[in-house]
Amino acid sequence: MTTAVRRAGEYTEPVVAWWSGRRLRFALIVLLLAAFYSASWQLAKVDPGRLLTGLPKMVGWAAKAWPPATDELPVLLLRTAETIAMAAIGTTAAALLALPLCVVAARNVTPSMALYYPARWFLNALRGVDSFVFALLFVAAVGLGPFAGVLGIALHTWGSTAKLWAEAIENIPPGPLEAAAATGASRVKVIAYALFPDVAPSMVSVGLFWWEFNVRASTVLGVVGAGGIGQELKNSMDLLLFPRLLTIILLILVTVTVIDHTSEWLRRKLE
Amino acid sequence: MAATETRVAPELDGHGFVAYTEGLTKRYPPTVTALAEVSFAVRPGEFVAVLGPSGAGKTTLFRCLTGLTRPDYGTVNVAGRDIWQSPRELRLARRELALIFQQFNLIRRLSALENVLVGRLAHVPAWRVISRSFTRADRQLALGCLDTVGLLDRAGTRADELSGGQQQRVAIARALAQHAKVILADEPVASLDPESSATVLESLRSAVSAGVAVVASLHQVHLARAYADRIVALRDGRIVEDTPASRLDAKTIEQIYERNGERTDP
Repeated sequence: MTTAVRRAGEYTEPVVAWWSGRRLRFALIVLLLAAFYSASWQLAKVDPGRLLTGLPKMVGWAAKAWPPATDELPVLLLRTAETIAMAAIGTTAAALLALPLCVVAARNVTPSMALYYPARWFLNALRGVDSFVFALLFVAAVGLGPFAGVLGIALHTWGSTAKLWAEAIENIPPGPLEAAAATGASRVKVIAYALFPDVAPSMVSVGLFWWEFNVRASTVLGVVGAGGIGQELKNSMDLLLFPRLLTIILLILVTVTVIDHTSEWLRRKLE
Repeated sequence: MAATETRVAPELDGHGFVAYTEGLTKRYPPTVTALAEVSFAVRPGEFVAVLGPSGAGKTTLFRCLTGLTRPDYGTVNVAGRDIWQSPRELRLARRELALIFQQFNLIRRLSALENVLVGRLAHVPAWRVISRSFTRADRQLALGCLDTVGLLDRAGTRADELSGGQQQRVAIARALAQHAKVILADEPVASLDPESSATVLESLRSAVSAGVAVVASLHQVHLARAYADRIVALRDGRIVEDTPASRLDAKTIEQIYERNGERTDP
């Protein structure tokens, strides 16, 4: 190009006017956020005064809770194991169900857009209902106990896992898939050989995350009668058995910490 | 291709072409015309170098020939098959045509050997692909292709741990393993040092001796002269030159790379 050479200081810089779209949009966003938070503050009935009057009550309970009760430890340990088992079965079932669906729900590998949209809607519906709510329905349908919890976890996690997996698939570079498809290989072969090795680590990582999440979530599933340690938690709270309550809370803390660390360690191993 | 034409061999059309395009046009609205009415044909055992400045349409031509990009108009015929006739025709045509990409496009987490075996995917049953258990014959063939590009000692190395030049050579081994009738190579030596460039072009040249048609886009004119039989030049999506390599002179080269009265490339 034969552009005349100019020195620094001689270039005209782009001018952004105060009424420019970008600045007006920023002001509008600030206003909307302010309105949103003031409305939320009202709706959530935030009242720091009530927290202050309630605190001494909780301190009183804490004082009464010490030392934690150990006489029922075997039963409580069994309940904890029940909780971990619920999460494991529920998450695994969800993962198996998610495997075919995540391929259909990934824009870049879906067999047909006519299947892609329904798959997305279905997954969003599953994801939209919390495992707690599903468990509530299943308690009514299949009765009290951990199985209702397993079903609740499985359905919600199915939607969430498949959606995250589909996103992982959509994020992989298209080049290696094109290269495999360009050899004349069928879609199944391309997915199995070129796509899967690339996404497998992030898929396992997502699966472990949901297992860990579900262990935490299933500690409270018992509150709606879906088995596990949560059920004991609710009973102790109802009967104001504070030493027992403390034991349960400590058990939950230990379990969740151990699971979190194991899962994190496994996921780091995958990097 | 008209149905009345007689065929010399099942994989060739009536004129002895193993792959050809007719009136190939591809536009990227609003302004870019990547290919305009390109008719291009290649015979078995022919090494064609495609020259042209960046943006001339070389990559689009290769992607159209492989069916990765669908042209707006025109036909693509590979090994006697009209590739857009049906998905099945496309798949069968693709077996006969190997593409070497500018960005290699290896599967990052698989070894060099497993990447070369991608070239065998279309030839083995699905269960072997899913379980990743290829036959000994296929594995030996893949190792042989790695040997050809001088990477036998890296067979077990993960693709993302290889250098750019090594990755490109794995990609070439993958193309060789396909046993295709046509090899298309999009800038196969652009990121290689002179020594690896020679290795790569020699291995493409030896494929040509075995009757394979090779179409390679190159940036270095001297390499095109040294290895190719025929030079095709693209500019602004049109073929502006199609000549035997021996007849390529300095004036023609200047015309190929000239744009708005100004040189844009070597």
